[in-house]
Amino acid sequence: MISATAQRRHAIDLDDFTAEEIEEILETTGSMKEVLSREIKQVPTLRGRTVVNMFYEESTRTRISFELAARALSANIVNFTARGSSVEKGESLIDTVRTLQALGAEIVVIRHSQSGAPYLVARHFNGAVINAGDGRHAHPTQALLDLFTIHERLGQIRDLKVVIVGDILHSRVARSNLWGLTRMGAQVTLCAPPTLLGPATYWTTTWPEVTISYRVDEALQGADVVMALRIQKERMQAGLLPSLREYSRAYALTPERLAGLSEKTLIMHPGPMNEGVEIWPEVVTAPNAVIEEQVTNGVAVRMALLYRLAG
Amino acid sequence: MRYLIRNGSIIDPAQRVATVGDVLISDGLVEQLVDLTDLHAMPEPVGDDVEIINARGCVIAPGFTDLHVHLREPGDEHKETLASGTLAAAVGGFTTICAMPSTRPITDTAAVVSHVQGIAARDAHVNVEIIGALTKGREGTALAELIELAEAGCIAFSDGGRPIADTALMANALTYAAVLGLPVMTCCEDRRLTAGWAMHEGVVSTRLGLAGFPVAAEEALIARDIALAEAAGAHLHICQVSTAGGVALIRAAKARGVHVTAEVTPHHLTLTDRWVMGNLVPHDTTAITKPQRRGRRKAHPELGINSWLDPSLLPPYDPSTRVSPPLRSEEDIDALIEGLRDGTIDAIATGHAPHALVDKECEYALAAPGISGLETALALVLTLVHRGEMDLVNMIAKLTEGPAQVLGRSPSTLHPGTSADLVIFNPDELWTVDTGQFISKGHNNPLHGQRLKGQVMLTMVAGKIVYRREDFGQGITQSHPTASRLEGILPSDS
Amino acid sequence: MSERKQILTADDIRRALVRIAHEIDERNGGLQDVILIGIRQRGAPLAERIAAAIADFEGVRVPVGQLDITLYRDDLRLRGPAPMVRKTLIQHDVTDKVVVLVDDVLYTGRTVRAALDAIADLGRPARIQLAVLVDRGHRELPIRADFVGKNVPTARSERVEVHLRESDDVDQVVISRSV
Repeated sequence: MISATAQRRHAIDLDDFTAEEIEEILETTGSMKEVLSREIKQVPTLRGRTVVNMFYEESTRTRISFELAARALSANIVNFTARGSSVEKGESLIDTVRTLQALGAEIVVIRHSQSGAPYLVARHFNGAVINAGDGRHAHPTQALLDLFTIHERLGQIRDLKVVIVGDILHSRVARSNLWGLTRMGAQVTLCAPPTLLGPATYWTTTWPEVTISYRVDEALQGADVVMALRIQKERMQAGLLPSLREYSRAYALTPERLAGLSEKTLIMHPGPMNEGVEIWPEVVTAPNAVIEEQVTNGVAVRMALLYRLAG
Repeated sequence: MRYLIRNGSIIDPAQRVATVGDVLISDGLVEQLVDLTDLHAMPEPVGDDVEIINARGCVIAPGFTDLHVHLREPGDEHKETLASGTLAAAVGGFTTICAMPSTRPITDTAAVVSHVQGIAARDAHVNVEIIGALTKGREGTALAELIELAEAGCIAFSDGGRPIADTALMANALTYAAVLGLPVMTCCEDRRLTAGWAMHEGVVSTRLGLAGFPVAAEEALIARDIALAEAAGAHLHICQVSTAGGVALIRAAKARGVHVTAEVTPHHLTLTDRWVMGNLVPHDTTAITKPQRRGRRKAHPELGINSWLDPSLLPPYDPSTRVSPPLRSEEDIDALIEGLRDGTIDAIATGHAPHALVDKECEYALAAPGISGLETALALVLTLVHRGEMDLVNMIAKLTEGPAQVLGRSPSTLHPGTSADLVIFNPDELWTVDTGQFISKGHNNPLHGQRLKGQVMLTMVAGKIVYRREDFGQGITQSHPTASRLEGILPSDS
Repeated sequence: MSERKQILTADDIRRALVRIAHEIDERNGGLQDVILIGIRQRGAPLAERIAAAIADFEGVRVPVGQLDITLYRDDLRLRGPAPMVRKTLIQHDVTDKVVVLVDDVLYTGRTVRAALDAIADLGRPARIQLAVLVDRGHRELPIRADFVGKNVPTARSERVEVHLRESDDVDQVVISRSV
């Protein structure tokens, strides 16, 4: 059976994915998960194809996840990290992309600290570009694996109340999840201190369905899914927070704070976590926490995306 | 050489003249204006040395003055030179441009000023005035030798895009400059509020995940500088005002008699932060239901964009849209236009900031801010005229009389006896912007591929043609009642 | 316009599958190690029906699985949008078993080639056999079926369509030709 949605060239953000296309990807992800459950976790689908992991920002887990995904599909995968490469000699992103293309790369997976960098790469590259996280802008594969995990656990996404708590302002995970979750019909609430969120209209103009909250206890009421985001120490240095302690007191996912929620409420975190800052260790190990499953599902989601873009 | 420019719409705001007629240029001066609506008009002088320029359908106006350009020479000649920048100015209809001190070395001593004046005397196609640095090395720590700079011929002082953070130093600068009678020009940005900025802070920056330049960063410094200028009795000129709040502060200051003037760029009057999204699917579907203010969204209401101008020709995060201050919101544009109309904003200045490809072909937030704007300035501001948001005479005043007043000079004019600095433009000529064809070395302009309406046909400085589009104006003015009298003296190749 | 001709009726299909069920039993001298694996999409319901037939006459339920071969295709780059990948559902270990692959139509043999690769990734069966409802010829690989419902000589320009109740509301095999 042929996919009902048109062939896409790049996966840079979820803003141009329809609900139908997301559903197809989630279904394919399920099939890929079956492959990963086998003793021989490899199929020959992308044999002889070359994928380049272009990582301008260190992220061991995302890089390894893409690497495993590409290998499970039998693609050749090459890792390019900014450290120790010609980037240090001042080679521009565009020069690097042109070089990789000349060397035969067909799919580029890019992680970059600058928002929008994957669009620049896509303009100068004939193959497919997958965004593995750019600045504060987007992290589409993280959002897709979150959607898959929610759907697998709860059987639906539509009408679920999903609360995202943490440093929303600087979070690419939050932005991509906003596109994905709202498109799939979830009710999303964003919750953070005002300095890590900004004015409500900045968000609700683009995502009118979204609720903005500055108080976590209020936001959590009736949640089906709670997603915590990492708080970085730099935010304190920038004067956005008085202290991590204060953040923890007011916003962390603690057992007390989650006590009023249903046992089925999923607890998620894109990692890496600061246990004891944005999430309590007891919450991480609770039966309804699916943080490790998110990591496992990440490989299958990335296989599904590589498969679709290579087709 | 004498020129008879015939049959154009003469618009000279300083003389309050707007009529159809001829302009006779002789020995570098305007010799005579002939009002064709005046039946008692003098007969035209003719002779072998007169070249007839047919300006039918075109506007003849005093040459434009640009208060704010970056010419890059000396130091960054790969971005622009005095030769290329002044020729680009001529293409844009500007006959006088004021060069910011952001060169290498910085124009903070008389020696550098005279060096630049020397290059200009040799290479420049239009008049070049020099703005001296306000502080040594534009570092904001110690005043430059302003008296020496004034004596060397600087017409204003500015640190360009580097506002003085030290409030006490700014107060001193204004107090010191006040005695010299020269304006202090400042780009208002509180840099503690704009660290790492990439674009205007708002809905689009939130969607794109780019660090914002909040309007408050501009407004806070405008407020500070107005207070300091008021106390010092100095002339403060606000460069490139871009926010509604900024316009309101300037309006209030003017109302209570503070000597403050202001300029705005063509791009801040016409383009919004929406342009940074390029061809991404617009999110502002809710904006469609808003009342269409003054028809700005007339052409593409479904996209929420300006008539004729279409941001979706650009890819997302196109660095050509990165400019300081950043492209703002529709609400800010409304306030800027209102400010131009009611006199709060005195002048339109391009802020021409040419960059090499390598400075722009990179990640958005890392791209050098600036637009190479001299060659699209007129057509861009004319979009406001075509949409009925400004009248043509007032618009020309903001390009001629307004900037002259900021500099404390008698306005440029077509009055007989004055230097023949003038521009002829066809306000209805449609053309497509091709930045690859720019005269400026800077091709950084977000309007590439846009259809614009209005083009400069001829620019004259001191009676000399410095730019002429193809063979503009060569041909018999068939409909002219006196045309037959001129046969036989027309150039033989016409 | 296309010309269509029914070549198997619902009864023909039922009889062919029952015959194949008997042949599988006879050929393997019993059913203790047999696993039926239907190639998705239409091989899967056919495998179920053969298993049901076996249960009717032998009273034993042989294991049935579904195999999706999309990830093993050799023509992905020749197609437009990537085909949907469905789940492979095989609950039993295939090692040392007799795997009977079931598909609706045997044509070039490329699907079977992909299925053989897929099975090899799942384990090491003692034997792999192939059962098809229709063999229409035109092989491009050295592959033949062990159990055939009906041999149908066709031209390459013709299409053989198998319709099954499970997906198409009707049981029939139709041959069609554009005119």
